[in-house]
Amino acid sequence: MKALDVDVKIARGAFRLAVNFTAPADGITVLFGPSGSGKSSLLSAIAGLIKCEGTIRLGPQALDGSNVHLPPHERGLGMVFQDARLFPHLTARQNIAYAWRRAPADRRPRIDDTARFFDIVSALDRPVGNLSGGEKSRVALARALAAAPDFLLLDEPFAALDGRRRRAFIDVLLRMHRGFHLPMLVVTHDIDDAAALASHLVAIRSGQVVAKGPFDRAAGDPAFASLLDPRDSGAAVPSLLLHSHHEEGRRHLWLRADHIVLATERPNAISTRNILEGSIQSVRREPEGSCLVELKSSVGVLLARVTAEAVEELALTEGRRAWALVKAHAL
Amino acid sequence: MLSAGELEILSTSFQVALLALLWSLPLAIGCAFILSRQFPGKFTLDGLVHLPVILPPVLTGFLLLLLFGRHGPIGAWLERVAGIHLVFTRGGAALATAVMTFPLLVRTIRVAFEAMDPRLFEAAALLRARPLDRFVTIALPLAGPGILAGAVTAFAAGMGEFGAVITFAANIPGQTQTLPLAIYAVLQQPGGEAQALRLAAISFTLAMSGLVGAELLQRWMRRRLAR
Repeated sequence: MKALDVDVKIARGAFRLAVNFTAPADGITVLFGPSGSGKSSLLSAIAGLIKCEGTIRLGPQALDGSNVHLPPHERGLGMVFQDARLFPHLTARQNIAYAWRRAPADRRPRIDDTARFFDIVSALDRPVGNLSGGEKSRVALARALAAAPDFLLLDEPFAALDGRRRRAFIDVLLRMHRGFHLPMLVVTHDIDDAAALASHLVAIRSGQVVAKGPFDRAAGDPAFASLLDPRDSGAAVPSLLLHSHHEEGRRHLWLRADHIVLATERPNAISTRNILEGSIQSVRREPEGSCLVELKSSVGVLLARVTAEAVEELALTEGRRAWALVKAHAL
Repeated sequence: MLSAGELEILSTSFQVALLALLWSLPLAIGCAFILSRQFPGKFTLDGLVHLPVILPPVLTGFLLLLLFGRHGPIGAWLERVAGIHLVFTRGGAALATAVMTFPLLVRTIRVAFEAMDPRLFEAAALLRARPLDRFVTIALPLAGPGILAGAVTAFAAGMGEFGAVITFAANIPGQTQTLPLAIYAVLQQPGGEAQALRLAAISFTLAMSGLVGAELLQRWMRRRLAR
């Protein structure tokens, strides 16, 4: 297994990007940023599809360097695009076989095993035009895996999926990561997807890294919070520690500050099942007049948004004990 | 039914058009693919390919004579190296036909390449496919209907080439006398109108079947691809 070291500059028109990060060999690194931040360009540069300056290394091998610019087909990287980009003149099986035939013989998984793993056995012999959106994206994953890449790049692969199918796809990605020990670099601008997948985070804005590192730490960085839409303000909680009804295997849940209610006494006779006790670490006033309260609990730091009046009435101050009620639909 | 003379004319036309197509198709596919992408000098290449359309056919034939004639730079070389004569031969008629139908062929195939999603190449590249591999396994099959339609149209048009062919390959019965050249020849004789009409009818039927055939083939392949 190989880590991906990236230290590059990209110039396209007026846009400038300069980033430096390492995506570890045994995790899922999420490349997070608003649209226009340059995350897709960065992924294309890593794949060798666009030119960049600097160095990109996969394990000990330089993909880009002072005298090296490996073409995309020699990088040993796999890529899953926003649209599945299946070859329209081939069936699903032929699409997967296309990758399989060109992969190193000792490392490629058998096509039938791959099809069972991704639950696409019944789709295999259909032309790709007849597949549903979910099937297409799973065939695209199977095809990328069949090429036996050392590292998998994913460019907002869930953009075309909605709701239930999106969550199912994320679970497939996590199973794929664990089942095949395949390190991944995933581009997304969705904080829920990022929290579910990421072991590591690289957050960029306008071509600059604003926060990076293990997800728990980087997601708590105030610089990262500034990237988010105010409605998405919140905190990451390891999903194992909550009684989440989501499938197991997700790394974190993103608990939004708007989905948490604070109480200064332990509430009884209430329908919310998730009540977390903690002590208040800080109270920050927001420009809109509301306040963000940081609560240190047994599962980590939580953020709750309350009105300025509530802060006064309940006397929410540093060091005070409080109970956080997490609305069920946030889980 | 057709007379022996008419059959000979038809056979000459078929052979000339087929030979011309075989020679020009690989080059036309290459040119069309290059022209479907962005590169410096694209405008110049596009102009060169379309030259036979804007030049008078007689001039094209004359330029071919200058280049491929016994004393022309290419003609002399061909004779020295391979002992090939092109002027006033069936091969010469095929060459003139190939040059004249080349723009039509390139244009049809280029449209097919341009209709293809170039991002599929990126996907193939990240599945370890090299550039030539991507061209053969992705571009060619996807442009297949267009290539086939272009080939049928160029073949049909090739059977009707006149100016450049008669200039470069002359009008020799059984050798270079294709349908339009035969029509021209009988029209030179007094009372040849009836024979000319027969030949014209044959020529018209062939051209129409070519057009219809190309359209049907293209539809059939599209349906197969869209399945």
